[in-house]
Amino acid sequence: MANDLRASLTDLDVLVIGTRAGGAPLLARLASAGLRVAALEAGVRHKPAEMPTDEVAQASLFWMDERLSAGKDPLAFGRNNSGRGVGGSTLHYTAYTPRAQPDDFQLFQEFGEGVDWPLEYADLAPYYDEVEAFLGVSGPADYPWGPPRNQPYPHPALPLNGAALLMERACHELGLRTFPAANAALSRPQQQEGYGLRPACSNRGFCQAGCSTGAKASLDVTYLALAEARGAVIVSGAQVTNLIREGGRVVGAHYRQGDQMLSVRAERVVLAAGAIETPRLLLLGGLASGSGQVGRNFMAHVGVQVWGLMDDDLRPYKGIPGGLISEDTHRVPGLVGGYLLQSLGVMPVTYATQYARGGGAWGAALTEHLSHYNHVAGINVLGECLPYEHNFLELSNELDGRGLPKPRIHFSFGDNERRMSAHAEALMRELWARIGAREVWALPRAAHTLGTARMGHDPVSSVTDPFGRVHDEPGLWICDNSTFPSSLSVNPSLTQMALSLRTADALIGDLVTDWVRVGA
Amino acid sequence: MSATERDEILAALASPAVTAPTRAALLARLDARYERQHFTEAEFDRLRAVAVRLVPHDPAELDLSGLIDHRLQLRQTDGWRFADTPPDGQAYRELLAALPTNFEILAPEAQDATLHDLQRRHPHTFEDLLAELTEGFMAHPLTQYRFGYAGFMDAPGWPQVGPNELEAREIRYGK
Repeated sequence: MANDLRASLTDLDVLVIGTRAGGAPLLARLASAGLRVAALEAGVRHKPAEMPTDEVAQASLFWMDERLSAGKDPLAFGRNNSGRGVGGSTLHYTAYTPRAQPDDFQLFQEFGEGVDWPLEYADLAPYYDEVEAFLGVSGPADYPWGPPRNQPYPHPALPLNGAALLMERACHELGLRTFPAANAALSRPQQQEGYGLRPACSNRGFCQAGCSTGAKASLDVTYLALAEARGAVIVSGAQVTNLIREGGRVVGAHYRQGDQMLSVRAERVVLAAGAIETPRLLLLGGLASGSGQVGRNFMAHVGVQVWGLMDDDLRPYKGIPGGLISEDTHRVPGLVGGYLLQSLGVMPVTYATQYARGGGAWGAALTEHLSHYNHVAGINVLGECLPYEHNFLELSNELDGRGLPKPRIHFSFGDNERRMSAHAEALMRELWARIGAREVWALPRAAHTLGTARMGHDPVSSVTDPFGRVHDEPGLWICDNSTFPSSLSVNPSLTQMALSLRTADALIGDLVTDWVRVGA
Repeated sequence: MSATERDEILAALASPAVTAPTRAALLARLDARYERQHFTEAEFDRLRAVAVRLVPHDPAELDLSGLIDHRLQLRQTDGWRFADTPPDGQAYRELLAALPTNFEILAPEAQDATLHDLQRRHPHTFEDLLAELTEGFMAHPLTQYRFGYAGFMDAPGWPQVGPNELEAREIRYGK
């Protein structure tokens, strides 16, 4: 077995580090093109049927190596903003999959602030179509925001839960449009190559603790299953500790699996470990240092939540958590960019700990509040975060269990994020007040990890080119959310998967060019 | 935990509406007790006294302080910490040491006054401790029973998800 694995890890065309939204679609694309590919994943496999409906027992879905959070708005990691396992953070994403809008990619052009992407919506549109069809995204027949769709969503929208129905009523009273949201969980069964039949969603609202049925399109049951069916090798429990550079090229990676230190080589290496571990590995190896941009421009979406205590018995553990969307706040006068509104179901421990951290209440006031869990409904926003000098990742002097420096992440909202948060909170408070919530409270929050190795045309101000090739490290590519030049005002997973396929196509082109040159 | 509470929790966990991995996780937690290993006896007594004020509970039913001691002994973290605080174990020790020496024998109201002061002086560590206690509290099957939480009985799925659309097992369970 060990020998088989070793044999399958030789003569690789491409080595991918990480199996999340950046690495997985690319791995499947490369394998489907007949390339010899392998992925190293720090986490282990989590089979759907083995997943308990319990948040604490599912802590292994998260990256629990300690990260240090600095700045005025220190970001929570662990249960938030991290993922570990074959499929990465898609194992616990809510599968909320709105597309970015065209103007998201051209923020600087529109506002004179933020950064433009070195690509346009039109570059991604065919990839969006492809990813949605493959995952089996459930969504509404008509969608009023963004460009018209080339094809309908593959499946009808999922049912609206209590929070979604209440938010719908509140928004309509206020004159805001709402629609059932696009979610990458099945409203009808779908056959998936390499996995089998994925059933329709049972409305078990524990998406963020892992889907136990396979209805949610986490990457293990979709792109990674396809990749393995097409010959890709996925090594789990393999934590990369450093990249190998020889003769001016990145040619492989050292990794630790159990007690063993191992290494693997390939023609190309794709770093897809996310906006924390990717810059951490680059900084550890002193790689891609030409622009001085590695670790810079860290971003996390504005994500304030507003909760209401309702008379209705809502059971927030039921139904797809983010059932409803409004993008009527995509542009708000006075703000750079904007935000979307999302209804929110929630699991009990997540709700309780967020409330304890955000509310400051303790004692009988806390437990009394938590006893009403069945009656709470939430609305969340997902809003633009601008890149700033003051937000960055660096290596600290403190070492982790493997002797590697822990990352320290500095994060403080800027003026635009503070004003956006205040605007969103006021609007959501008004929404819940409209429908007679007995109590309304806000939990300030930021979500997702973005930036830290931005893409761009100019090697002086960016780490990779518009396709993910690292400007100053031959052989090395980056394909994850660290390359986002700006945050976009939508959840990143769908866009990341579209970018992943686009990078894969460019990478195939690169390798073919090489081979033609060698052949000639 | 009354005999009735225990019987009803065990009956729910035994039902086919609970998947095997869910049942295993919750059964293991129901009676979990931990031997103190990380903190000194004095520190642990103080931690327990603080814990019952922050998240009111009966330590005989829910060993929330033991859970923290156990976690620290295993050197597990929750994946992050505030950069301005020392590692969790040391931070909690310092937090406990910042309370008045007679904290354990103060009247509850006086204890709360010192805890409010502690929250002002050490907001980050206080928040971490509160969140960790809250997690242990909310994840416990007894709390879930008392709050009428039935989300773990999801093996058959939830065909109805709208407001007040409850399955019989949701109506029946808890208080």
